Amino acid sequence: MTSTDKNISKFLTLFHAFENALNGEKDHPYHEWRRSAIDRLQNLSFPRRKDEEWKYTPVTRIVTPNYSVPPRGTVSQKQLDATRIPDFDGVRLVFVNGQLRKEFSDWENLPEGLTVTNMDEAFQHSKYRQSIEKLLADNTEYGKDPFVTLNTAFSVESRLFHVSKNTQLDRAIHFVYINTEEDQPYFANPQKLFLIEEGAEASFVESFQSTAPNRAEYFNNIVNRFQLGANTKVHHYKMQNESRTGFQINNTEIFQDRDSIYSNYTADLGGRMVRNNLSAYHKGENATTNLYGGFMGRDEQHFDSHTLVDHAIPHCQSNELYKGILTDSARGVFNGKVVVHKDAQKTNAFQQNSSLLLSDKAVMDAKPQLEIFADDVKCSHGATIGQLDEDLVFYLRSRGLTDQKARETLQNAFLLEVMELIPVPALKQYMADLITQKFEDATTLEAL
Amino acid sequence: MLNIQNLSASIGDTKILRGLNLDIQPGEVHAIMGPNGSGKSTLANVLAGREEYIVSDDSKISFLGEDLLEFDVDERARKGIFLAFQYPVEIPGVTTATFLKEIINTVREEQGREKLSPPNMLKLMREKIKLVDLPQEFLKRSLNEGFSGGEKKRNEMLQLALLEPKLAILDETDSGLDIDAMKVVANVVNDLRRKDRSFIIVTHYQRLLDYIIPDKVHVLHQGRIVKTGDKNLAHELEEKGYDWLKQETAATS
Repeated sequence: MTSTDKNISKFLTLFHAFENALNGEKDHPYHEWRRSAIDRLQNLSFPRRKDEEWKYTPVTRIVTPNYSVPPRGTVSQKQLDATRIPDFDGVRLVFVNGQLRKEFSDWENLPEGLTVTNMDEAFQHSKYRQSIEKLLADNTEYGKDPFVTLNTAFSVESRLFHVSKNTQLDRAIHFVYINTEEDQPYFANPQKLFLIEEGAEASFVESFQSTAPNRAEYFNNIVNRFQLGANTKVHHYKMQNESRTGFQINNTEIFQDRDSIYSNYTADLGGRMVRNNLSAYHKGENATTNLYGGFMGRDEQHFDSHTLVDHAIPHCQSNELYKGILTDSARGVFNGKVVVHKDAQKTNAFQQNSSLLLSDKAVMDAKPQLEIFADDVKCSHGATIGQLDEDLVFYLRSRGLTDQKARETLQNAFLLEVMELIPVPALKQYMADLITQKFEDATTLEAL
Repeated sequence: MLNIQNLSASIGDTKILRGLNLDIQPGEVHAIMGPNGSGKSTLANVLAGREEYIVSDDSKISFLGEDLLEFDVDERARKGIFLAFQYPVEIPGVTTATFLKEIINTVREEQGREKLSPPNMLKLMREKIKLVDLPQEFLKRSLNEGFSGGEKKRNEMLQLALLEPKLAILDETDSGLDIDAMKVVANVVNDLRRKDRSFIIVTHYQRLLDYIIPDKVHVLHQGRIVKTGDKNLAHELEEKGYDWLKQETAATS
């Protein structure tokens, strides 16, 4: 198999090695699905700078390394313990280099109402199969880009999380992603599908970290799909602290039925280059989408968040707040697309993106993108890019705080507006601590 | 306590202070009055260490025997200078309690004292907030965010009471205050008067000085102190305004 994009060709070649290592899994029906993905990949190419959706994020840097399939990786008990969130009783599912490690996970203690099914197995149930095929179809905004297809082709350990009707999960599910340093750069393709049945409520936390935060070279190519039934509530947290030499592309899509609420809280702190495609599609009335994000970039870090809220139905709401701080030569991108279709009357859509630039070389590109075709809607957006207010710095210093402490305090306060939206105190504290660590540039796992 | 000699300061190309001299002994309260634009707020800000002001090389300010101009704003604060701002800033995202805790412990650390335990800290804040007549809930709110003008000034006085500085400078703290709030300002100052603590009260109005009896009243005009007297000078200014002084100054110079 070949492609006109030489980077695609590399992945096609790698697929053979991957396939041969699958052993028995090759005969599963899900593997057919993988194969069809690799067939589609042949005809795709990676985005270039001339593609509007990718103009600020040079993806070539991410796809050029010669990646291997992910090695198993070694993690010490201390390193595992350090990934625990203090005062937070989540059900931990630990993934090392993208692969689920049941021996480190609370696999036996899944909360009542949650069924986790391997994709190979899920594919054999007709009710699941339909959902899977629908959720992973390539026909959505970012589904067209090759990263989703690549993820499907190489996904192992993909799982379907099914929350049954009218169940409230009594504990949050904590996906702990740990990446190790290996001889060769590798790429992992975590894939999770969430089916939330009518009336159910659940919280999902994803945390990303590395045992070699300054050296581990890898590429996490992540796909998440959420299907929210009527009257459901989902809180979804992403605490991204990848290695400074690691890449992440995160494709998360949410399909919401009537009266459902999906809230996303993202903190992007680690990684060399990170791209989030976060898209919500409304399928029923009175759906609410809350997208909240904070980022803090230094050195040459690059964070790109593309959000999409597709208001296709009347009487739906969306709220977006993204705030970030960039220093050194860091770069940030926020592209907030809101589409209000002709029939989606009485839509309320709010979007705000504010950034602080602390150095001359830091760059922020902010692009609110509102496409409104209905005439009875309330939509607003705002984007501000500024510096720390020196009057505030002076005030704090006049009370005895050092210049550095004063600036840290104000930077923290700037991001706090986003943190304040997190409903779980332990998670709010954890994110705040990660941010403080980032200010101090502390690395944790490596020292353990 | 504080000795200022020949202080000249400018902002951009505009000269504001022109050779100001002032000596404040420990325990003294000095009021600085003067018409708009005379340099009152500039003096307060220069003492606090605001960097926008360029202080001429031949200016001398000695504070407790040290050359004050050698220190940055935060060093001055830790050495015991406190400025109550004319326009306190709003800082969203920093709760008043967190802020107070931080500044109290910073000053204690400087003084070589132990940090206050959280319960003691809370006790201290609750006690002092009563002194400025603000509701306890203000401790939970973001610093000055959405506070009225009077509430902001009370918050300044709360910080003054908590930090117990050696030299407190009140920059028009009484401007725009109703009588109750003004009494709070006066009470805090009177409560803190000690033989080793001095105050500079910058004000437009004589009214505050009915409640805080100053040891000296200075009139600032065109960047210099043109007249010094006792509390009666404030009354005289209240009755006659500043025009006679301006004329007097014009005649002598």
